[in-house]
Amino acid sequence: MVNLQNLADAIKVGNRAEATKLTRQAIDEKVGAKEILEAMVGAMDEIGKKFQRNEVFVPEMLIASRAMKESMAVLEPLLVKAGIKPAFTAVIGTVAGDLHDIGKNLVAMMWKGANFGVVDLGTNVSPEKFLAAAKEHKARVVGLSALLTTTMPAMKQTVAALRAANLAGLKVVIGGAPITQEFATEIGADAFAPDAASAVEMVRKLMVA
Amino acid sequence: MAKTNLLEELKKRPLLCDGAMGTQLFIRGLAAGACGELWNVGRPEVVQEVHRAYRQAGCDLITTNTFGASSAALGKHGLSDQTATLNRTGAAAAIREATPDAWVLGDVGPFGEFIEPLGDMKAEELLEIFGEQAAALYAAGVDAIIIETMSDPTELEVAVKAAKRASAKPVIATYAFADGGGGSFRTMMGTPVKDAIARAIAAGADVVGANCGSSLSLSDYVNLAEQIVAAAGKTPVIVQPNAGSPMLLDGKLVYRAKPEDMTAAVPSLLKTGVRIIGGCCGTTPSHLRAMGEAMRRETVG
Repeated sequence: MVNLQNLADAIKVGNRAEATKLTRQAIDEKVGAKEILEAMVGAMDEIGKKFQRNEVFVPEMLIASRAMKESMAVLEPLLVKAGIKPAFTAVIGTVAGDLHDIGKNLVAMMWKGANFGVVDLGTNVSPEKFLAAAKEHKARVVGLSALLTTTMPAMKQTVAALRAANLAGLKVVIGGAPITQEFATEIGADAFAPDAASAVEMVRKLMVA
Repeated sequence: MAKTNLLEELKKRPLLCDGAMGTQLFIRGLAAGACGELWNVGRPEVVQEVHRAYRQAGCDLITTNTFGASSAALGKHGLSDQTATLNRTGAAAAIREATPDAWVLGDVGPFGEFIEPLGDMKAEELLEIFGEQAAALYAAGVDAIIIETMSDPTELEVAVKAAKRASAKPVIATYAFADGGGGSFRTMMGTPVKDAIARAIAAGADVVGANCGSSLSLSDYVNLAEQIVAAAGKTPVIVQPNAGSPMLLDGKLVYRAKPEDMTAAVPSLLKTGVRIIGGCCGTTPSHLRAMGEAMRRETVG
């Protein structure tokens, strides 16, 4: 009998081969898709908490996310069959004029790891493109990333464009090396996430509120 | 007068490196998201103008406009095939302004993704990529290479090795650090100062230190410098802080630290044992001029 704790542990240490093997085994043994998913999400949550406590760092988060991603791919057909869908969709991208994607990718990975529906628009994304994607996917969350200080004004314009469209219940979360809470407040974002693990927490809080 | 070797000169006196290039090009009309290195070919007179301003401000070291000119970083703009050209022209622009007295540092920045197993880039492949850039810079006549803003010590090691393979000239290697809590500093990859510096030196870097960094004030930078000097032992240390953290004022980005704030930090930085001081994001020739004056006051008086 497969032990889901072992699956969670394999994800936490980033052992991709072991994690996918245990996922397959769990599926073969008819463990419920929801249960398997919860074990995976729990593992990523734990990594996120350790990250926030400075016990692990970006490399550990990256390899855990990779193991999570591959295990999820194995589980995906079962989730579809069982009709288990993410509770909401989050759109994410790096703002116009900025081609940096490391921070954005980390947040996207952690959001996927938390089983949010994630639409990644890539880098150098215009305000119009963010808005169109938020409408198309009926997103509840839009995440904006910037690394260059010179693209912070683009972040402000994107928030303004999203606000002007008045999409019901849409929350905007921003982050990136030069971003501060002060800046988030100033441009009217709903939350500032100082790191990828906090980005998960922020969204969960905003979705409950 | 022939220039002495940079490392020999450092034994005699502390040197002033230059300040930001990117933010200077933005002021002169570079669009956000555009490839600044393209100006080495398209608007070389503007790149030269920035170098000249830093040289006139008294900077001893002039850094080429090639931070993002590895084929991997240029690939994000679809410009990988321009690698040799952009490095050669970038070096030429700096050399023209630095001659005869200042040293030219060929600038190498991060390739923009992760190395295996965290990402898809193979270390051997990256060695070739950085090697190509270093070779182009050296062929054009730079005096040394500066590898900057690194987060991953493995990437920094690969870059240092690539530069050392291309030439025996000095290699400077710096990390971007962030606050690690409790008075400590770490790179984005979680590497503490001591490990990061030890690995840079072991890889063959001749000068080690820090540039840029997230949310570090100038007083943080003094603490950071102290820790780097302790970790570096006999290896000379360079620090290049940002002009404080930026803020948005009426839709425009403003760096908080004024030239006089940077000047005030210079004596403390020198006291830690730092041998090269320069500037990163938001610093201007005015900042560097003021810092240079403070430096001379400290070393002469």
